[in-house]
Amino acid sequence: MSNNVSAPALKKKSVVSKLGGQKFIVFLVVIALYAFFCLMSPDFRKYSTAMSILDYSYYIALMAIGVTFPLITGGVDLSIGTGLICYSLAGGYLVLHCGWPTGAGLLVSVVFGIVIGILNGVLVAGMNLPPFLATLCTCMITRGLGSLCSQRFGISWPTAGSEGSWFRTIFKINVNGTQIPIGFLWILILVLIMAFVLNHTKVGRYTIAIGSNKEATILSGVNVKFYHIMAYAISGLFAGLAAIAYSAVFATVQPGTGAGFELEAIGGAIIGGVSATGGAGSIEGSLIGVFVICLLKTGLPYIGLQANWQQIITGMVLIAAVLVDIIKRKRAKV
Amino acid sequence: MEKIKQNPIIKKIGFNRIVLCCVLLLMYVLFSVTCNNFAGLPRILSALNYAYFLGFLSLGVTFVIATGGIDFSIGPVMFCSALISGFCLTHYGMPVLLSLLISILVGIIFGCFNGYLVAYWSVPPFIVSMASMNIAKGVASVFTKTQSVSWPQGTTAEGWFRKLVKMGDFPVGLVIFLAVAVICSIILNKTRAGRYILSLGSNKEAVRLSGVNVKKWEMLSYIICGTLVGIAAIFYVAAYTTVQPGYGDQYNNEAIAGCVMGGTSMAGGLASIGGTVIGVFIIALLQEGILALGFTKDYQLIITGIIVIVAVYADVVARRRKN
Amino acid sequence: MGDVILTMKGIDKSFPGVHALDQVDFEVKTGEVHALMGENGAGKSTLMKVLTGIYTKDSGTITYEGKEVEFHNTREAQDAGIVIVHQELNMLGHLTVAQNIFIGREFKKGIGIDDKKMNEEAKKLFDRLNIDIDPNETMSNLTVGKQQMCEIAKAISHEAKVIIFDEPSAALTEAEIEELFKIIRDLRKQNLGIVYISHRMDEIKVITDRVTVMRDGGYVGTLITEECTKSDIINMMVGRVIYEDPKQKSMVAPDAPVVLKVEHLNAGKMVQDVSFELKKGEILGFSGLMGAGRTETARAIFGADPKESGDIYVNGEKVIINSPEDAVNHGIGYLSEDRKRYGIVVQKTIAENSTMACLEDYMKGLFIDKKAEHDVTQKYVDSLATKTPSVDQLVVNLSGGNQQKVVIAKWLVKNCDILIFDEPTRGIDVGAKSEIYKLMNKLTEEGKSIIMISSEMTEILRMSDRIVIMCEGKKTGEIGIEEASQELIMNMATREIS
Repeated sequence: MSNNVSAPALKKKSVVSKLGGQKFIVFLVVIALYAFFCLMSPDFRKYSTAMSILDYSYYIALMAIGVTFPLITGGVDLSIGTGLICYSLAGGYLVLHCGWPTGAGLLVSVVFGIVIGILNGVLVAGMNLPPFLATLCTCMITRGLGSLCSQRFGISWPTAGSEGSWFRTIFKINVNGTQIPIGFLWILILVLIMAFVLNHTKVGRYTIAIGSNKEATILSGVNVKFYHIMAYAISGLFAGLAAIAYSAVFATVQPGTGAGFELEAIGGAIIGGVSATGGAGSIEGSLIGVFVICLLKTGLPYIGLQANWQQIITGMVLIAAVLVDIIKRKRAKV
Repeated sequence: MEKIKQNPIIKKIGFNRIVLCCVLLLMYVLFSVTCNNFAGLPRILSALNYAYFLGFLSLGVTFVIATGGIDFSIGPVMFCSALISGFCLTHYGMPVLLSLLISILVGIIFGCFNGYLVAYWSVPPFIVSMASMNIAKGVASVFTKTQSVSWPQGTTAEGWFRKLVKMGDFPVGLVIFLAVAVICSIILNKTRAGRYILSLGSNKEAVRLSGVNVKKWEMLSYIICGTLVGIAAIFYVAAYTTVQPGYGDQYNNEAIAGCVMGGTSMAGGLASIGGTVIGVFIIALLQEGILALGFTKDYQLIITGIIVIVAVYADVVARRRKN
Repeated sequence: MGDVILTMKGIDKSFPGVHALDQVDFEVKTGEVHALMGENGAGKSTLMKVLTGIYTKDSGTITYEGKEVEFHNTREAQDAGIVIVHQELNMLGHLTVAQNIFIGREFKKGIGIDDKKMNEEAKKLFDRLNIDIDPNETMSNLTVGKQQMCEIAKAISHEAKVIIFDEPSAALTEAEIEELFKIIRDLRKQNLGIVYISHRMDEIKVITDRVTVMRDGGYVGTLITEECTKSDIINMMVGRVIYEDPKQKSMVAPDAPVVLKVEHLNAGKMVQDVSFELKKGEILGFSGLMGAGRTETARAIFGADPKESGDIYVNGEKVIINSPEDAVNHGIGYLSEDRKRYGIVVQKTIAENSTMACLEDYMKGLFIDKKAEHDVTQKYVDSLATKTPSVDQLVVNLSGGNQQKVVIAKWLVKNCDILIFDEPTRGIDVGAKSEIYKLMNKLTEEGKSIIMISSEMTEILRMSDRIVIMCEGKKTGEIGIEEASQELIMNMATREIS
């Protein structure tokens, strides 16, 4: 065996494949999409449009970061969409109607998210329910809970400028009339943190291991149940953070909405290279994938397609992304 | 207990189904006692209205679950069917009958789409469901330009289709629903399609190695599901008037709940149409009862969610014990 | 060779219906490579599973480093320094080499994992083994051979004193085997005790110091490798008296027509350029050791797995078989070695399983003709003497032999003329075995033709009219029953491939 030659050759190949990997291609797609919409519509080129793309991106990106973990374990979390609305409603109700300080309300959102995340984890890892079914149920349950929390009314978190509205400046600050999207900075920081968690901590390591070969992971003496639950708890935590982003960006939160958000997040993650069958994926990839979705969402109306086209196209893109993954794996096998 | 289970008559009907029937009766009694004016025909008819369309959804998804797959796009697809056909009727002036056929056709198209991707491309069913759920919502909204559609009232000449649900106070819908359930049961138990669908749900590879074209039959299960979803749309519009785009998700869970409660295993290979029918009645009665007790729709969502979790967990435990 | 580090004495282990280990003795010294040999089912793996705590022994003692020990799971054995390198790799394809080696016992650095240290430690292990693998490479990018090296590195990282290699060379190329041997020699120099399980006679001669042979769950003897010949070992392996009469001569007329002809079949590494003919009324035995590629050949012919090239002729006509559906339509039926996974649908009834392959013939219009189905199933239940209260019995409730009969019935109902029996009597008790044999003879008398894959020498010699022998994906011999002997077959099945 010619080891001395093959090892550096292998190394070189992996660098190339890293550059040429799905993430990079999707990144080019994002740029191409943006360029396309700019070309097609002068309005799209405005600063305010870019701002609104970012506004949409925050909560989807946060959900996508979180849901990447269950996806990598080979599961899925469908409860994040209705969940985030529920958490936001619960927190908002306490702030508006019970006089809680804003910070406490936001904290409630996050804690609520973690609780539902752990519940999902217990259902999937502890009770062995199929992930899509367990989280479909918690999806419905959170939707119901959300309406109950707000007593079926929409919740308007304090508007910018009013008392207790400081949290809106988490994502956007006004400097001399120009809006600065500092939210994007937080997202990038969170992506870095979670990429570290995924790649350099036990939680992340075992998340990948579970998705790669659960049996072998158990045989290695890993407490698989605990780490499996952790993956869902992270998803819940980020749904809670997404709730904060949603509350901060939008004026009102309506109960009964939120269904479909999870598709945008999961779609983004899968476009960004998370394997639909688990084991592989990256946080930064998920973030890039989310921008494909956000660009479609905001861009399509500018070229004369109703917003609902976005739903159709997101669905199609999701299927296409999974098919690419499946074909790739089939090729690798041969 | 074991003795009762071994009784030939009880064995024939199925112990679980008898228990379910008892649960159904008990629930009815309970609601009647705790809640004024629950007993009586109007409530029953209202619960039945709910049971019809939900029942068709449930029957459809039973076929898919029997193969070991899942389809939770059924609710939105039903709404998509109802909206597109309704729009054809009200805006393009198509005859009612044709509109109803279009409704079924839309269901079939979605069934083919889902089935093709799952069977021939081995895309995970939950991904396909998620995608087609949104595609269905999107298509419906685009087609109707995000307007709700109102189907003609029973008093008008075009409203004859409402007689599909009830004529006077006679529940025609119940007869049709049970007839379709019997047909489904025959398909599942007495035809090649059903035999292969159930078999590939328990051991796909063994069926393939018997020289059976498993892809074809797996896809067929999704098409059957789609067809029944189209029929469900007809019964939805016949019982209720207005259909709004963007909804329908909650019915996924309720339909799956009816199916799993009836004894269909999420792991595939084991399905009971009779069980599904009773399961659907329980779910429909429950929804009606929750509203009658003065709770909001939100409780329906939560309670159904919990029911599905419990039912599926019971199935998981039962399977583990068997092994 | 140093001192004895591990002694197993009088190990006994029974499973329901099988006496798997019968008073087996085995010992390993430091600094030796000790081969453990025997036919499939001789009890080698069971012995090693008893040693590493996967099974508990019924009686006997294990002495390790002078103390009597008993391990309750692999973890305990590992901690004590006894590790096993499995034939199937337990790897996590998406993680890197170093991450795989240290899974479950990562080095910590603050809240994170110290990947750098893990890489360094892995590098040290590889240096010790003198192999060049980048610890940072993703596992699934490595060749099978290198993955095997990683498993070995993982084993050593447990501070192993005894390493068991369970058929390590099965999936390796010649060059990789050389590499493996180099490592094993190094380990021997470092005074580890090494157990080497393999079927390959040539390897045994090259790498091992002593050979222990097992047969039918019992201990046969231990030889010094240098002092024995290949035929000595083979004699010990097959030394049992064949109490069932082997077939004396072929029952097939010399001019019988060829019903199945396979030419230059290729399907991956396990099926390389396989050609043979099957005559009408013949039982063609396929012999060889585990992993010789017999099942793979059968599956490729049957269309269950894709093939790369090769022609198949049925009754003289060239046919194209891309799926089991095609094969069945040409009258080929396949009885898998793994009945539960590939043969029957256990949660369905006998009748439902019997008509699985040709349900279309039992239809009345749109509906299944339950009566006809019932009748035909009953007919085969009777003629195959399947023991069951009724044809509506769920197959899961039947014994192994009767389940096998249901699978046979499936192909008979379909009226298949060419039947491939893959290990037809695996997991079946002795009484049912001879019934299956009688049945196969009856079938050939009726003009069916059978390919029988079997790892049991007695079965091959008793049933076959002609025998094809395979070794490592290639056909290495074809002999008539008249000239066949255990030694000859074993010789061909273990032939050194230069």
